[in-house]
Amino acid sequence: MTGIVELKLENESIAIISISGTWSIYAKHPHAEEFIETILSKPSIRKVDLKFVDLKSWDSALINFLIHILDSCESKSLTVNIDNIPTGIRKLIELSRTSPVRNTPPAIQKKSTIFEFIGRVGLLVFFSLRTFLGFVGRLLIGIIFFIGGKVKIRSREFAIVLQEVGVKALPIVFLISFLVGLIIAFVSVLQLSQFGANIYVANLVGISMMREMGCIMTGIIMSGRTGAAFAATIGTMMVNDEVDALQTAGFSIINFLALPRVLALTLMMPLLCIFSSFIGILGGLCAAISTTDLTIVRYCAQTANAVCINDFFVGIIKSCFFGFFIAAIGCQKGLQCKRSAEDVGLTTTTAVVTSITVIIIMDAIFAVIFSLLEI
Amino acid sequence: MVPKISVKNLNMTYDDYVIMRNISFDVRQGEIFLIIGQSGCGKSTLLKYLLGLKRVSHKKIFYDGKDINSVVNVPGFYGEKIGVLYQGGALWSSMTLAENVALPLETYTSLNGKEIEEIVTLKLSLVGLKGFENFYPSQISGGMQKRAGLARAIALDPEILFFDEPSAGLDSVSAKRLDDLILELKESLGITVVIVTHDLASIFAIGTRAIYLDVESKTITAMGTPHELLMSSNDKNVIAFLSRGTKIAQG
Repeated sequence: MTGIVELKLENESIAIISISGTWSIYAKHPHAEEFIETILSKPSIRKVDLKFVDLKSWDSALINFLIHILDSCESKSLTVNIDNIPTGIRKLIELSRTSPVRNTPPAIQKKSTIFEFIGRVGLLVFFSLRTFLGFVGRLLIGIIFFIGGKVKIRSREFAIVLQEVGVKALPIVFLISFLVGLIIAFVSVLQLSQFGANIYVANLVGISMMREMGCIMTGIIMSGRTGAAFAATIGTMMVNDEVDALQTAGFSIINFLALPRVLALTLMMPLLCIFSSFIGILGGLCAAISTTDLTIVRYCAQTANAVCINDFFVGIIKSCFFGFFIAAIGCQKGLQCKRSAEDVGLTTTTAVVTSITVIIIMDAIFAVIFSLLEI
Repeated sequence: MVPKISVKNLNMTYDDYVIMRNISFDVRQGEIFLIIGQSGCGKSTLLKYLLGLKRVSHKKIFYDGKDINSVVNVPGFYGEKIGVLYQGGALWSSMTLAENVALPLETYTSLNGKEIEEIVTLKLSLVGLKGFENFYPSQISGGMQKRAGLARAIALDPEILFFDEPSAGLDSVSAKRLDDLILELKESLGITVVIVTHDLASIFAIGTRAIYLDVESKTITAMGTPHELLMSSNDKNVIAFLSRGTKIAQG
């Protein structure tokens, strides 16, 4: 038996609501709205009488039902007789209704027009960019002071970060780069074999890995792996008051938290990029010799002929910048984290998305610059 | 005598909302000063203002008569002038307890490694954690983390010690032990203590003077010793807040 409600009219002006049965939030039960609607549709009704007949058990479902009835009737100046409400239920209703209401205004989410939306996004981008540039500026000052010996970083912590961002990233960089090289070679073979130009697979793989794919793939891997780790670590430190504790112990947050991480990734990225490029070429070699009549020696010789020193340095220069910005974005997002676990997740996601976007934008800018410089 | 800390007509905001208005009080040398009030009234935010973690306009907060904005960036303000124990201890999780306590000493003093090691042992002994030097924060209990945080806060012998909800999350025995420790440190080191709390047992056990931040009127509605607040305050919220404390204290 579930909750049962009967609505009767004693006379023109008094409505009687009889409540019985078993009320549970886990079972279907009557909703107040239909009874309220009936009562309010008869303007002659001035009083509502609540009666409880054979009420077996109840929980929040009944409390919620009664609060709805009481609120709706009282808002229309109808008198509700609550004398028959069982004591336990009455106490809970009173408790919920006497609970003080904080007069802090809630955050109002206004429906905005398209122009307001564009303006708001524009301002958000502007202020985010300004904050980030300020952060980068402070980082650069930290680096200058570090080079000048005025700022010290803890060598043990720095070594741990170097190991984390460098050595421990090698397996994933190896796997991704090898597969990327392999894919480029397979696609190239399919096209070039139609013209009998299989040998140029080595050129395509070599140049693309050295100039573009090596640094971009490493950058994307580092964004998802290291940038996210930086943001999550610092974000968690924010949640646990560890960052405040650093500040009130007199340490510069930038020099203590961000500088070692940024330096470590800026130093490690070129090395990872070189590793990635060579592993990509190895992947291309495997694909080429297994699908064409090219030999290892011919492939290597062709790669050496195709790839010039400029291609090598283009990749290295780009990876230095990528490393700096991935680490800076991770640290800055971490420091912007608020005080909840949910924010740590959000911060980490934002750091990864921002880093990857910045890498792609920067790569496009570098492409234009190198093209103008004819490198 | 110039107060150790002086707050004058401070308006506190959180995001864009004003949460407290016209906050004014003095903290005297050597007292245990309590900032009390219901949860969510802005006690911890006030602490952030006092610590210089939230920006404040000029001539609102003074340390020894000097504007906080002129002293907060002076080397030695943090660590030597003030020490802080945060709610959860806020130990740096990648470091052992010894490293947590040693870090300020390594950074701000010219002590050699052996001297630092000795001071670290001394500070950890003061809080009853001798022998835990090589433990990481994750390997010890919440109460021990707080005591280790206290050892770190007193590493540089600060003049003023701030506590944010020191008894939060502790059982009554551990909370009492921490209160006793605060009293002992205050008496033996002669430091000034500012505590943000809503723990009634602590308020009556260790507080010299207190201010009550009222969430409804958004300002200080009572100031004095905890017993004065209870006996002579006309504010119903203050009485309601503190009356349960007397029962606890008596019980």
